[in-house]
Amino acid sequence: MSRLGKLLAGWTFRTATPTFEPGEAITAYVSERNGDGLTVRIGDSVIRVEDGEDAAVEDKIRLEVTSFDATNHVGTGEVVEVLGPDA
Amino acid sequence: MPEEPDIELSFRGGRLVSALPIALFIAWAIFQSGILGIGDTTGLVAGMLTGLIAGLLFVRGDWKDYADVIFAGMTRRVAATAVVAWLWAGMFAETIQVGGFVDGLVWAATVLNVGPGLFPAVTFLLAALLATGIGTGYGTAIAFTSLVFPAGLLLGANPVLLFGAILSGAVFGDNLAPVSDTTIVSAVTQDADIGGVVASRVKYAVVAAALAIAAYLVAGFGIPGVWGGMPHIDVAGEVSASVSPWGLVHLLDIALVIVLAVRGRHIIEAVSWGLLLAAAFNVALGAANLVDVSAGSMLLFSAPQNGLTQAVEALPLLGAVVETVPAGQVGVGGSVYSGAAGFFPLIVLTLLLVAGAEIMRAGGGFDAIQELVIDRVATTVRRAETTMVVGTALVNATVTINTAAEIAIAPYIATLGKRFNINGYRRANILDANTSALGYIFPWGGGLLAGYGAMQGLVGGEATPWFTAEMLVNPASVFPYVFHGWFLVAVFLFAAWTGYGREYVSDRTSEEVSRV
Repeated sequence: MSRLGKLLAGWTFRTATPTFEPGEAITAYVSERNGDGLTVRIGDSVIRVEDGEDAAVEDKIRLEVTSFDATNHVGTGEVVEVLGPDA
Repeated sequence: MPEEPDIELSFRGGRLVSALPIALFIAWAIFQSGILGIGDTTGLVAGMLTGLIAGLLFVRGDWKDYADVIFAGMTRRVAATAVVAWLWAGMFAETIQVGGFVDGLVWAATVLNVGPGLFPAVTFLLAALLATGIGTGYGTAIAFTSLVFPAGLLLGANPVLLFGAILSGAVFGDNLAPVSDTTIVSAVTQDADIGGVVASRVKYAVVAAALAIAAYLVAGFGIPGVWGGMPHIDVAGEVSASVSPWGLVHLLDIALVIVLAVRGRHIIEAVSWGLLLAAAFNVALGAANLVDVSAGSMLLFSAPQNGLTQAVEALPLLGAVVETVPAGQVGVGGSVYSGAAGFFPLIVLTLLLVAGAEIMRAGGGFDAIQELVIDRVATTVRRAETTMVVGTALVNATVTINTAAEIAIAPYIATLGKRFNINGYRRANILDANTSALGYIFPWGGGLLAGYGAMQGLVGGEATPWFTAEMLVNPASVFPYVFHGWFLVAVFLFAAWTGYGREYVSDRTSEEVSRV
């Protein structure tokens, strides 16, 4: 990103509940781990990942959104790659 | 030296008891400076020593471990950095001051028609500029209190407002400067690149600064110059007799320090060069009779009268810094001496404070607070961000040396922020803004005390003979006037609630951290 781009990024009021489209690939930290699955909170939106592979809490992962309900701000996703805690 | 393993301490009464030394110190500081109105830094040293001894009584097991933790805290690099900055900046500021720099500023302000009403707002802008350039808010607070503060008083500006404006400028620079230690800590601990962090925090800093300028203008013209019986009329009379533009040549050695610092030279190196140039200017100005200054103003051995000392006094060169005096007045003096000596109590206090913070870490006090906060309070992204703002504020209230406070809270900000996928830039900004602001607001904050220490150095100073102990601004009375600090905290509370400037990890990935 250019210097000007960096300076101008984020001058907005960002929602607490961002929405995602099915098929969208995003990078995020794992918020919680329960059983086999993972919970990824992006603000107050929640994406559930059923097969969490070996990702731990605070690991950064690449995931693909498989479904998203914009009314309740919940969705599902699949892990594409586990980038690890220092990524 | 190899890194020693961290010692863990166990306290009777639980982990929070490890906060006792610092808690007792804060209570002491509030009692001494807030209630009794005594701004004596050495008194605070006694408070911190008492706190450290009180904490010892609650340690389970070997007391030697407690002692080792005190040593570990005192030898941390952050403490040494502050000590070095104070000693060098102190010598430099005092040397410029004896060279007539204050007179030069008063002359310039008179010529440019900057009156007492406008002076605080202008001071805020200039202090912000200097602090952003050199990256040390403490250094700025020290330099401006030594140099610009007396000039403002001579022009009739309100002293409390003026001191607040200087501290506000220091906050701005500490927050925004790429070379500021707090900026670097905030970026590195939140996995974000320094350039990106600085660019992303402009949107908060300018909003707060615009509000602060407006507030200084309103207060500057609204609050009369004569405050609480301070003898300003007498002081203003000093102007016409002594004012001369020649002290402004010291802008060159200040510029030299800034240029060297911005180009990445070590502070010891940058300030030493500035000091040498300032000394050369002083000798030249004194020799040309343009300013009443000499080598003896910078370093003077006042020796008892006897045959040997009188022979030394008569020598060329060496004799310029030696004088013989009656037995009762023997001592060493001059700007190099008094500039450094003015910080001795503050240096001791800083070392003890960092030791107190280390005990809180080793005793699990920080961990206890973190668990309470993450599990019970931060349940939504708004509440998480608000908790980050308030939590950083609370830690800064206890640790008081802002870089040390920032290092202590940084892991919790990272954990809490990552749980809601708050972007590294945003986390770094929340962390640094409050750390920068509050160290200059709390009466026991390191930045405020740094400026106050410099103000104490003005009492009976060689360049400010008119400045008396009654003119000192009580540290407990300045906090409402550190406008930029307050607005910065307010902007972040607003931002946490409304989402202004919020970015998620999925929005934008921060670039590689250029680790130092």
